[in-house]
Amino acid sequence: MESVVITITSGKGGVGKTTCAANIGSALGMLGKRVVLIDGDIGLRNLDIVMGLENRIVYDAVDFIEGRCRLKQALIRDKRAPELYLMPTAQTRDKSAINADQMVRLCDEMRGDFDYIIIDSPAGIEQGFHTCLAPANRCLVVTNPEVSSVRDADRVIGLIEAAEKGPAQLVINRIVAARVKRQEMLSTDDITEVLSTEIIGVVPEDENILIASNRGHPIVMNGKSPAALAFQDIARRITGEDIPLQPLRASGSILQRLFGRA
Amino acid sequence: MNILKQLLSGSNTAHTAKQRLRFVLIHDRAEIPPGLLELIKDDVIAAISARVPIDRDGVVVQFEQQNSESRVLVDVPLLALNGERKGAKRRP
Repeated sequence: MESVVITITSGKGGVGKTTCAANIGSALGMLGKRVVLIDGDIGLRNLDIVMGLENRIVYDAVDFIEGRCRLKQALIRDKRAPELYLMPTAQTRDKSAINADQMVRLCDEMRGDFDYIIIDSPAGIEQGFHTCLAPANRCLVVTNPEVSSVRDADRVIGLIEAAEKGPAQLVINRIVAARVKRQEMLSTDDITEVLSTEIIGVVPEDENILIASNRGHPIVMNGKSPAALAFQDIARRITGEDIPLQPLRASGSILQRLFGRA
Repeated sequence: MNILKQLLSGSNTAHTAKQRLRFVLIHDRAEIPPGLLELIKDDVIAAISARVPIDRDGVVVQFEQQNSESRVLVDVPLLALNGERKGAKRRP
């Protein structure tokens, strides 16, 4: 099977790109797929931390591109899944350290060895974003149910289409069913309607995400928590399984819900 | 007591968010900043009021996008010479 390169992006920062990349990649790995996660955020790397692999970095993608190491030396194996690897990026360089052609070549080197190559794009729509977009076969755009991040998602979806990398698919992250129900948060339907983009997954707000990132354990790896289940569903949809979007359920106790702190 | 507040005020901020998003996306996609419509409105008022009396406060200039077509909709209420809106019904 030829590799599928999936770029995960958002425009706006802080919406959960890296969390999505780590969890979708891990979930695919746990389905037995051969997966490599590439940190595309040169100078502000975080995928290593979220994956809990930061202590194992010796070489990175920039070292490989500049000829200081072999491909295998820059890949960190994550033993929690059969074939899951991280390619970290450089922390002390900037976005110009890898250009679009180099990113395409880096992915080409790995095509054939992996089922999925997942690139965690930096925030913004500048060079770093375009570098990560260049090799993409598929693009996931992460947004939160909140006006500014949906607006930025629209801009990014437009850029993805202009680069002929579309159609993008949307991950709605950090939705709170109780707040949607109280009509104080945009719903999945609201966002689909405004963006007219297909949704590949809806991830509920989940306090276990922070705990998972504290520990460096992507939530899908040990979880039946709501976000873990959502990421597992996204991974299975990526592999082509037909899994309908689950209706959101308000979490928390009745009292919490009543008082709006669900 | 968010729920009570909600019930009493009938506020629906998700709806507000959606309306604001729609507005901002229409302008973002067309690369027409909202302020430009205000300028167009001033031009329209100047151009038309030079020829016929109009209700300046009733002028609406809107940007609309459907499929791949974009248009500016201009609604200019005319005044009769006596200063009342043309065609407006007299209220008893």
